Amino acid sequence: MFENEDDVVERVIQQLRRPVAIDPGLDARVMQEIAAVRPAQRRVWPLWSLLATAAVLGALLVARPWTRNAAQNGSDVFQFVFVAPQAASVSLVGDFNDWDPKRAPMQTAQGVWATVVNLTPGRYRYAFLVNGVEWRADPGAPAAKDDEFGTPSSVVTVGGRGS
Amino acid sequence: MIIVALLLSAQVAAQDPRLERLDPETRSAVVALVDSARGDGLPVEPLIQRALEGATKSAPGARIVAAVRRLTLDLGTARTALGTNATSPELEAGVAALRAGATPQVLTQLRTVRRPPLTMALSVLADLVASGVPADSAAVAVLRLAPKARDADLVEFRRAVERDIALGAPPGAATSVRVNAGAAEAFGANSGNVPRPPSRP
Repeated sequence: MFENEDDVVERVIQQLRRPVAIDPGLDARVMQEIAAVRPAQRRVWPLWSLLATAAVLGALLVARPWTRNAAQNGSDVFQFVFVAPQAASVSLVGDFNDWDPKRAPMQTAQGVWATVVNLTPGRYRYAFLVNGVEWRADPGAPAAKDDEFGTPSSVVTVGGRGS
Repeated sequence: MIIVALLLSAQVAAQDPRLERLDPETRSAVVALVDSARGDGLPVEPLIQRALEGATKSAPGARIVAAVRRLTLDLGTARTALGTNATSPELEAGVAALRAGATPQVLTQLRTVRRPPLTMALSVLADLVASGVPADSAAVAVLRLAPKARDADLVEFRRAVERDIALGAPPGAATSVRVNAGAAEAFGANSGNVPRPPSRP
């Protein structure tokens, strides 16, 4: 009913040992194809190297990954809110954005101005700039007592130990 | 001549471009302070931020330079108290604590009783004093909580004291009462790390 296992193995071996007929012209055709394929010529032009280097340096200068406000591992998301129903504009400025009002304009919903910032562990001074002229501290945060420029500022501290 | 020009161009290139917001005279003085601080191994980013703060607030150049110089000196004092391994955030918080009235000895003691980072503990100390708590009372409270409290516990302690003060409690009394209650709660709190919504300062 079933073939002996040894018989099956023996027949497979015989099949594998049978010579395979190969076209005599095969070798010649293969060698002809190999000769036809020429390696691509790659030349590195000095000008291109300089341009590539300049592009990388330019990208680094634009991204400025060494600045403190760059998003990094260990950063935490903080929401800053300021209530000013009469304000036309409010910006959040502080140690985390180079005190640049253009970097963090706040969005309003019926006079409640808010924005979200990624902060790495540290102690940051900040303030709100209302209508581009009026400096206001955050009433919901500790005040920066060592303000040396005559305008109020606040402090936010981001811890790195179960904060 | 060419060498001088090359040296000047190298100096300009090494200068932080953010400082271009300062007028030339102020910028020159601030760059000198920054370079000196860098040479002493102090963090320079706080100095640059202080200068930029002054520029944005339209402060006179002399006041900006004075603020940067004072911060440089205080960063040095904080590093002496906290040790050469102190990080930039720790040194900045140390400066805040010193300016609030904490002594360098308190900073050194804090370093011995709490494992790093010390940023939050130093900052809470400064913030308590800013809220009206006497510096010595704030130092005693933070030193007592520091060995085991998490950063979050210290922040909650500060908020509790501030609430009590806002309700009319004497700052010293609020601190001493809360430090006793806070210590018990903090040491038994769950220290698990769970996802949270955006925090508020």
